[in-house]
Amino acid sequence: MSFLDQLEPVREAALKSFAEAADLAALDNARAQSLGINGAFTALLKQLSQLPKEEKPAAGKRLNETKNILEAALAERRGTLELSASLPKIATDFSLPGRRRTAGHQHPLTQVTDDIVKSFRKLGFVVADGPEIEDDHHCFDALNTPADHPARDLQDTFYLAGGSRSLLRTHTSSVQIRVMEKQPPPIRIIVPGRVYRRDNADATHNPTFHQIEGLYVDKNVTVSDLKGTVEFVFKQLLGDEVKLRFRPHYFSYTEPSYEIDFSSALVRKMGKDWLEIAGCGMVHPQVFKNVGYDPEVWTGWAFGFGIERIAMIRYGITDIRMFYQNDVRFLSQF
Amino acid sequence: MKITLNWLKQYVDFTGTPEDLAERLTMLGVEVEGIQKLGGEFEGIVVAQVITRDKHPNADKLSICRVNDGTGERQIVCGAQNFQAGDKVPLILPGAALPAKPGEAPFTIKVGKIRGVESQGMMCSPQELGLASDADGLLILDPAAKVGQPFAEHLGRSGSDVVYDLEITPNRPDLNSVIGIAREIAAVTGNSLRLPVIASLPQGEDVLGLAKITIEDPLLCPRYTARVIRGVKIGPSPAWLKSTLEKVGLRSLNNVVDITNFVLLEIGQPLHAFDFANLTDHTIVVRRATEGEKFTTLDGIERTLNSQNLLIADATRGVALAGVMGGLNSEISAQTVDVLLESATFQPQNIRATSKKLELRSDASYRFERGADIGICDWASRRATQLIVEIAGGTPVAGVIDLYPTPAAPKKIILRHGRTDALLGMPIDASVQDQFLRQLGLEVVPGTDSSEVTIPSFRIDLKSEIDLIEEVARIYGIDKIPSTPPRGAIGTHKYDQTYDHLNEVRRTLIALGLTEAQGQTLIGVESAKLAVIDPAQVQMLANPLSSDMDALRPSVLPGLIDSLSHNSRQFQTDTALFEIGRVFVKSGTTVTEELRLGIALTGRRSPIFWSGEERDASLDIYDLKGTLEELFDAIGLRGCSVTRREGLPAGLYLEAASIGLGKQTVGEFGQLIPALAKKADVRGAVFLAELNLGLILSRRNSARSFKALQAFPTIRRDIAMVVPETTSHEAVLNLTRQLKLANLDKVELFDIYRGQGVAEGAKSMAYAFTYRHAERTLTDTEVNAAHDKLVQELQGKIGATLR
Repeated sequence: MSFLDQLEPVREAALKSFAEAADLAALDNARAQSLGINGAFTALLKQLSQLPKEEKPAAGKRLNETKNILEAALAERRGTLELSASLPKIATDFSLPGRRRTAGHQHPLTQVTDDIVKSFRKLGFVVADGPEIEDDHHCFDALNTPADHPARDLQDTFYLAGGSRSLLRTHTSSVQIRVMEKQPPPIRIIVPGRVYRRDNADATHNPTFHQIEGLYVDKNVTVSDLKGTVEFVFKQLLGDEVKLRFRPHYFSYTEPSYEIDFSSALVRKMGKDWLEIAGCGMVHPQVFKNVGYDPEVWTGWAFGFGIERIAMIRYGITDIRMFYQNDVRFLSQF
Repeated sequence: MKITLNWLKQYVDFTGTPEDLAERLTMLGVEVEGIQKLGGEFEGIVVAQVITRDKHPNADKLSICRVNDGTGERQIVCGAQNFQAGDKVPLILPGAALPAKPGEAPFTIKVGKIRGVESQGMMCSPQELGLASDADGLLILDPAAKVGQPFAEHLGRSGSDVVYDLEITPNRPDLNSVIGIAREIAAVTGNSLRLPVIASLPQGEDVLGLAKITIEDPLLCPRYTARVIRGVKIGPSPAWLKSTLEKVGLRSLNNVVDITNFVLLEIGQPLHAFDFANLTDHTIVVRRATEGEKFTTLDGIERTLNSQNLLIADATRGVALAGVMGGLNSEISAQTVDVLLESATFQPQNIRATSKKLELRSDASYRFERGADIGICDWASRRATQLIVEIAGGTPVAGVIDLYPTPAAPKKIILRHGRTDALLGMPIDASVQDQFLRQLGLEVVPGTDSSEVTIPSFRIDLKSEIDLIEEVARIYGIDKIPSTPPRGAIGTHKYDQTYDHLNEVRRTLIALGLTEAQGQTLIGVESAKLAVIDPAQVQMLANPLSSDMDALRPSVLPGLIDSLSHNSRQFQTDTALFEIGRVFVKSGTTVTEELRLGIALTGRRSPIFWSGEERDASLDIYDLKGTLEELFDAIGLRGCSVTRREGLPAGLYLEAASIGLGKQTVGEFGQLIPALAKKADVRGAVFLAELNLGLILSRRNSARSFKALQAFPTIRRDIAMVVPETTSHEAVLNLTRQLKLANLDKVELFDIYRGQGVAEGAKSMAYAFTYRHAERTLTDTEVNAAHDKLVQELQGKIGATLR
């Protein structure tokens, strides 16, 4: 058997033993059997020096090639075996629940308020506020609602003990007066806030609730402006497909006054054509006079609506009291 | 207010559908709250006459009748006993249905045999027709009834009708009448308004000799008119009148009272009919009641009056509560022969006050307190007199007593047409504007650039030019005014920024796992007092709805505790809530509104999990403190100090610490007294914090500047030392800070240990000190120099023993 004829079986045997090694220990053993000091391949390597001079270069080249092949096969097998050795002993059960962190939630009323504020801000409105404890002047008189006016019948008012005639504001409109008393026109504000009515709590009433009010005063402000702004805001809020209509109404502090109804797929699902959503109108000249603005120079509009009502419509909430119970099962839905 | 379509159509033409009318009214500002269609209910029911009545061969209580239905004869088997041949009765024909009672299906009549004899229809009782709640026997009709006439027509309910329920805004008292609504329809359609024609009544002064009227307080009663009608016959009203009133929800009483109600609804003027015989000395005095004067109103209730209540009196006693309700002692009864008819105007504020004080409301008070039309008193009186003569017979005494000491001068307002255009944002022709106002019954005299408009007495709401502009806009139609895109000035207000800062606080807390709550502003005084140091800080309501909502909250914490309580009762025991809201703190006579942040935590630290040592760990005070620290970092609040509150538990807190910022205290946090938690049905420990947001936000610092990332390695040295129990972490930090050690970057506490190897009254604290230089790698020698000094100081100054 020639020297080179011996090489083929050694190589085949080594490759086979590498491939069959089931773990890293077996692979080490296989390596020792072929490439180790006493291995079969090493033995062939040792015979090289005894070959006749003219056979040496060819045989040397073949041996070298074979060594490279064996070492490459060994490295590959080692890589594979090392990878499987790094797997955990027990396979991970991916069906087990994950480790959760508590996620907080924003109150739905805050979310709705913020959405309204955002759309007004796109139009250059800024957020304003005012006190919740008010006086007759800011809450009623300055808004053109005299003490004995039947319009006051529409809202029953909480008064503070102590005989000061201080009251809890019944609407955010009092802030209109506060702001106009302090700032010269033009005015462009939006006022979200708590208001109070002396209604017993039921599914649609809570003594405390939220309103948001918009006021715009400038030269040449018109009913058209009012309509354009209201339409913009409600489309932002309720979607582009929402339809609005303005219905003449009565508020003592605006003239003309309108109620705003909207119609959408949601309203139709409730079995109605229109749903009342807001009140608005052109600021009454008397209100301007009350704050020292010249009604011949300045005109303006105001509009306001209940935040709870919008939230109830938007989310399909049926009981206003849920907003104030702070049941986490309720709050975590938003 | 309810009106019917047929009634309305007596005064104005309207050609559209009932729904069209509702839409038109709504768009005029008269909201239609309900539409109820009537009629059709008596379909297939006719007036019939009984020709013969014979006994049923197989039943004692039944009879067999031949009946004329107007087209021919039919045989009817009947069980009623109260009729005889010749009587006229309502007959329902086969195939027609009886009016259904609410919630029941209609009952359809068929030809069928009753005890072997065929019956081709049914004669009806008032009960079967839904006209009375109980009745014996058939409804026997007037002998004059026309045989074959549809029964609905016979009743005066000609065919179908539509009842509208309208919401009238308080500024438009003139719309509380059918004619008022008709006038609006006339204005918007351009059709003419048809007022009823009143035949002339006998003129003269006879009435002056018969009755004597005095107004003692013309301020409260600016006008009082009276007519006398003699020899009336009180009885039931005719069918048309009865049904007109019933359709709009009024009970028919007798012809004279029904007529006063009819005219009230027709024109909006409340009237009152007195039994003339019961007026002592035939005298009326309009005067204030005396203090404590007793008076029994029509509803039989004796009421105690005061001098603020206006009374219609005769020579000796009150006979009506002016503008509110008549008296029992002078009401129209079956015996009444002569009637004194009052048509007056009273001051709205006074009627309102009386009605409110006595908790007595009526159709009359409702109209007077909103402002009745002083100009219509006499018209309404004549209209009612005419109807009384027509329906109840009698003779009007010639003349009228009309006390109207200071007649109101007609109001005139100038309308500048250009002003309308400027306000609406679009031009409307001056002549068109004028025409709209005329259609509303206003008198318009055009001038240059403006018109002079005379306001009729029924439009008390029209006071200035802007009111006229509104009328023009209303009749023109808001839907025809174009929308223009928003434009104009940019607003300014200092709160705008605060709004954003509050949202920043919300976002931070939500990211930290807290859920936002909104609590009631009104809370019970007992829980309010627990949340303040001084009970005098709680502001009470003068007119609370209930004792659990009688105070303004001085803190958001009671509300948050209530919320934990609610959740706990719903088996939600892991709850982390915060609320941003206003509280009200009373100091002397002033009440300050403060913006506060409240936090309430209870339950487990993390959602349930199935592995890990600390998986069931409950929240503790350091979870709360950590939340506050994260919040302060997020809003750039630096230099907060925390001071333990010494002394016994007080208020809400078992243990608490105040949070200081400079010299100010900005908040407090701690653990709720367990007994209070238990009272709120919360089992676990509850941790609370409340901060003054106004103060905190005023110190907010959002300035950020980039710091180069660390490029060189740090060197960490750990120290574990035993210190006395009283040594605080803060003391260690203060000491370290004072030393101003070179290159010291961070000090972190990573362990506190008590127990084996550490003596009682002492604790082991382990700190990691990290040294770093921004520009080069530190050497051990450099670090050791600093660190050795630190160790020395810790041993010397706070008595630490290194472990």
